[in-house]
Amino acid sequence: MTMVSSAPRDPRRTGRYVYATAVFLLCAWVLGPLYLLFVNTLSSPEAVNSFPKTYVPEFNFESIEFFMEFAGMTGALWNSIQVATLTMIMSILVGAPAGYALSRFEFKGKETFRILILLTRAFPLPLLALPLAVLFIRTGLDDTIFGLALVHTTLAVPFAVLITFSLFSGIPMELEEAAWTLGCNRLTAFIKVVLPLILPGITASAIFAFVISWNEVFAAAVLTIENRTLTAFLLQNLDTSALHLKFAGGFILVVPALIFIFAVRKYLFAMWGIANR
Amino acid sequence: MKLKVKLTSAVSAIALSLTAVAVQADVLFWSTQAKPVEEAQAMRDQVLSGADMAVDYQPNDGGPWLTRLNAELQASSGSIGVLGALHGDFSAMDDADLVDLGSMGVASASATFNELAKLGTGDMQYIPWMQASYIMAASKEALPYLPEGADIDALTYDQLIAWAGNIKEATGEAKFGFPAGPKGLKHRFFQGYLYPSYTNGVVRTFASDEAVTAWEKMRELWAVTNPASTNFSFLQEQLLNGDAWIAFDHTSRLAGAFNERPDDFVAFPAPAGPTGRGFMPVIAGVAIPRTAPDMEASKAVVAHMLKPETQLATLRATNFFPVVDVELPGDLPPAVQAAGGAVAKMSGSADANPGLLPAGLGAKGGDFNRVFVDSFERIVLAGQDIRTVLDDQKGKLAAIMNETSAPCWAPDAPSEGACPVE
Repeated sequence: MTMVSSAPRDPRRTGRYVYATAVFLLCAWVLGPLYLLFVNTLSSPEAVNSFPKTYVPEFNFESIEFFMEFAGMTGALWNSIQVATLTMIMSILVGAPAGYALSRFEFKGKETFRILILLTRAFPLPLLALPLAVLFIRTGLDDTIFGLALVHTTLAVPFAVLITFSLFSGIPMELEEAAWTLGCNRLTAFIKVVLPLILPGITASAIFAFVISWNEVFAAAVLTIENRTLTAFLLQNLDTSALHLKFAGGFILVVPALIFIFAVRKYLFAMWGIANR
Repeated sequence: MKLKVKLTSAVSAIALSLTAVAVQADVLFWSTQAKPVEEAQAMRDQVLSGADMAVDYQPNDGGPWLTRLNAELQASSGSIGVLGALHGDFSAMDDADLVDLGSMGVASASATFNELAKLGTGDMQYIPWMQASYIMAASKEALPYLPEGADIDALTYDQLIAWAGNIKEATGEAKFGFPAGPKGLKHRFFQGYLYPSYTNGVVRTFASDEAVTAWEKMRELWAVTNPASTNFSFLQEQLLNGDAWIAFDHTSRLAGAFNERPDDFVAFPAPAGPTGRGFMPVIAGVAIPRTAPDMEASKAVVAHMLKPETQLATLRATNFFPVVDVELPGDLPPAVQAAGGAVAKMSGSADANPGLLPAGLGAKGGDFNRVFVDSFERIVLAGQDIRTVLDDQKGKLAAIMNETSAPCWAPDAPSEGACPVE
């Protein structure tokens, strides 16, 4: 009897170990590189190149100071924020109605349409950039925040459509129908009943749009000259720069995006709450 | 009504101020060179600040650089004032798209460079701007392992292999560093160093018996090369962190090591083979696209780049050497002194066998490099039979030469028409 009681382990405890390990690994996967970026940004060039590495920052601001004096940094940062915000707004304005239509209406070629949306991501930008740039130069969209945001919106729309499509599908049609019987029309039912429910999901696709725009280099480098985004301005020059400046530049590119995601994170968590229910 | 008037005047005021900005816009210097942030900063602060007009220096990757330029050419309306790029970048362009600069009265001191800048046409397509080369560098820790009787300034490939072998034996680690990474310039080693040193040619001798010997040596060298070299693209990093004690790379890609710890490293000429000490100069040039918005301002910038004092400032900023006659001052950065000495010894050595940059290949320059990189990957990394690989790649090389009908360049013997692969 005693033998039997000691032999089988509680499966739930094993499960908890697996869960904890998985959580730990996921956190390490994200936080590890960020921490190394942080430490090396705040280390002197000698420390960055030396071996073994230290894992404690020495708070040397040499690399950061270099970028503070680097001509055009703040302008590029401001351009990046403008383009990313505009991309976010436009991709939601275009993507959300498309997602709603896909989930609520039956129409001819619906499946084809869903595939076609994904096709906008099927062509590499370097292939599209030349004709786009020619068109932009001819129409005057060249080197404008709005023109670049248009391109980034095209890249972000598939995500916006697919995310909002699955969100709308998760909200029972009956809720809307109930609202109609209580005096709402299609629009007011949407605004009063559906919109509050999917707002977190909208935020998620907004974050996607923001990050896509923030990270995009090629179109930004070709389509803007005076109004460069931070990524176009820095990223293509970092790969050939000295190691300590690579770290500092990477840090500068990552931080604003992190701040943005932290600012909107509670909406994101709320969406996962919906998914769990 | 009043509001409407106000709005209209506001809008026109904005439009006016926008056009005003456009009129006084800086000359846009669209470059593939001096790309690292420190060099870009030095170009803006030290080199271009001396020009009479405001210059906006924008360094780019090759892809966006060419795409933007082509877009402006196609739209026949441009914002790029001056182009800065390597000889190879210009030779890939349509010569009608570059303004003839022959009448400007500025040129480099080297007749060879000026001839190359014509890109096979009668006109000066670009003006040589700065030059560099590929050299060897070693950590002083490696010096005690030099094989007996070897002179570091006159090494042979066999001595280099023996040297790296000694280090491997003593430390247990292969410490020769080779730029075989994705952004590494390995193809230049084969085109400008290995082939001229062993076969006295590049195209004609591509699949010769001497070439087989050359690739055998490359295999021997690879056996004592840090296997992580397939990730190395800027050997200054590996010299600084000790992954490589001996390295081959572009002078500006070794500069960081010399500038950071000048007392720890030495620079020396590339090794020699049976047919001499092959080495390759690198030329960057400045050109003006036909769509430049303000031709006079662009020409003024080009003229500014060729002034002796600008050339010295460029040397300090980028570690690329002047192309005009100019006395080098004594207070140059350590990297410039070290590289300058090594290049001078290399080009001045009795057995020097300079190989020129591939010329006349146009847009096929990348394919030409690919032939050498593929051969390296198949022979050295994958261990395939040398003769088989060379005979296989020979066809591709011949096709490129025939398609572009590029004549031979040194050290290959001159040809009538396309350079033949023998």
